[in-house]
Amino acid sequence: MSALSAELIKLKRSLAWPIVVFLPIVLVLAGVATQLADGRTPENGWHTVWLQSVGFYGLFPLAIGIAILGSLVWRVEHRGSNWNALMSGPVASLRIVTAKAAVVAGLTALMQLVLLAAVILIGKVAFGLPGMLPGEYLTVTAVLILATIPAAALQSALSMFLRSFAAPISIALVASGISTGALMAFGNAALVSPYAVATRAALLGTGSFVDTGTITGSDITAILAATATLTVLILAVTTMALDRRDTRI
Amino acid sequence: MTARAVVNEFAKMRHLRVGLVATIMVIGVLALSLFAVVSSPDFDPDSPQAWNALLAGMSLGVPLISPLLLAVLASRQTDIEHQGNGWLLQSTSGITPGGLCRAKFAALGVIVTAVTIVTSLIVLVFGKVLAGILPPAPLGHWAGFTLCMLVINLAVLALHILLSAKVENQLVALGVGVLGCILAVFSQGLPPATAHVTPWGYYSLAQAAGYQGDQIQAMPISYPSIAALAVIVGLVFAVLTVRFDRQED
Repeated sequence: MSALSAELIKLKRSLAWPIVVFLPIVLVLAGVATQLADGRTPENGWHTVWLQSVGFYGLFPLAIGIAILGSLVWRVEHRGSNWNALMSGPVASLRIVTAKAAVVAGLTALMQLVLLAAVILIGKVAFGLPGMLPGEYLTVTAVLILATIPAAALQSALSMFLRSFAAPISIALVASGISTGALMAFGNAALVSPYAVATRAALLGTGSFVDTGTITGSDITAILAATATLTVLILAVTTMALDRRDTRI
Repeated sequence: MTARAVVNEFAKMRHLRVGLVATIMVIGVLALSLFAVVSSPDFDPDSPQAWNALLAGMSLGVPLISPLLLAVLASRQTDIEHQGNGWLLQSTSGITPGGLCRAKFAALGVIVTAVTIVTSLIVLVFGKVLAGILPPAPLGHWAGFTLCMLVINLAVLALHILLSAKVENQLVALGVGVLGCILAVFSQGLPPATAHVTPWGYYSLAQAAGYQGDQIQAMPISYPSIAALAVIVGLVFAVLTVRFDRQED
């Protein structure tokens, strides 16, 4: 746990909170902006609000958000002589890799909760929709939180190898674009890509792109199975790679 | 700013994978522009609207891809000066921080100009040769659109170079880039007055074609607004780089 608590201390000054708070809020606002500007209420109530905000968010802004968080969490290790301190410490590679990935995944999870809160707030306050957000979207949020773990682990790994802040983010943009294309072409077979897993989970129940509009047990099972397999695989490979790294001058 | 400083910037690009980012920009915009044509069932090469479908694809593709990748280009080219204290090194050899920013703009500007024009030409050739669109291409409108996209791309690039130079934490620059993507895409659905507020909104003012009802139609480009953006950003860039020259580190 000490590796994780050390990460949490580092997090305090890393400016992660603007991404976690503002990215989902801006996307929800952008999604409903046209209707707010025209003063119309969404046609299908909560479903339309969810589709317009979360549908677009899942395509690539989600992956970019995760990538920025990954770069932020690793930024400190690439500065000054921190990399050498990390390499010469008595902490096992697996613990470093897991702690970093856990922090990125944790921040990403917070981002989904902010998204959920923003959707509810917009629906209630701005549009005055009756009732509450349908319960199925709470399930989607829970699945989404889990489904972003592989992408968080992968972006954390990329930011570990690449010292540049911007490079992992451009990789995330390209990879999520390709993954969305693959989802449309091959359906659930594209879930071999961590970005596709995250996008697929965000699209659950929206009926757009690959989704049929109904949330099925088989879709959720496929997403969760891919999540578990990819997370273990990515963490194992990253640990092996970090084991072969050394201090640098 | 001397020619030698600009040449030096090109030398720095070799390890920054600028070529790769530029290629991603071209391929990303092409994929999005041509996707609209390939996926549309009622695309008819004989109809005069066929060119508008391509222009509409580019009018969506450029704002979706460019803001983030321009931020990446500017951030990578400028961040190296923070990391290696290049500001001081260049100052001792006679190139002030402001001059360095101008050299970076000149060097990256060449790349961005090439990327914008090449993308536009490839889409034009695609329409003529591969899709076999029979009616003559609206070359004047096409050239105007390309020129406006170029001006907006250069304006966004200039502002990003200033931002990356001023704020050392590149999170800020990349975060603004992501925000820019969202603003650029969603400005198309907002009233034109809102589009004038941010530099990214101008992408929607230069939209050459788009859906009006359920038909793709050519749209007028607001040239005066784009010209105003060029003048304002040009002045801001000139004033701020001169201020950079006079500031103590």
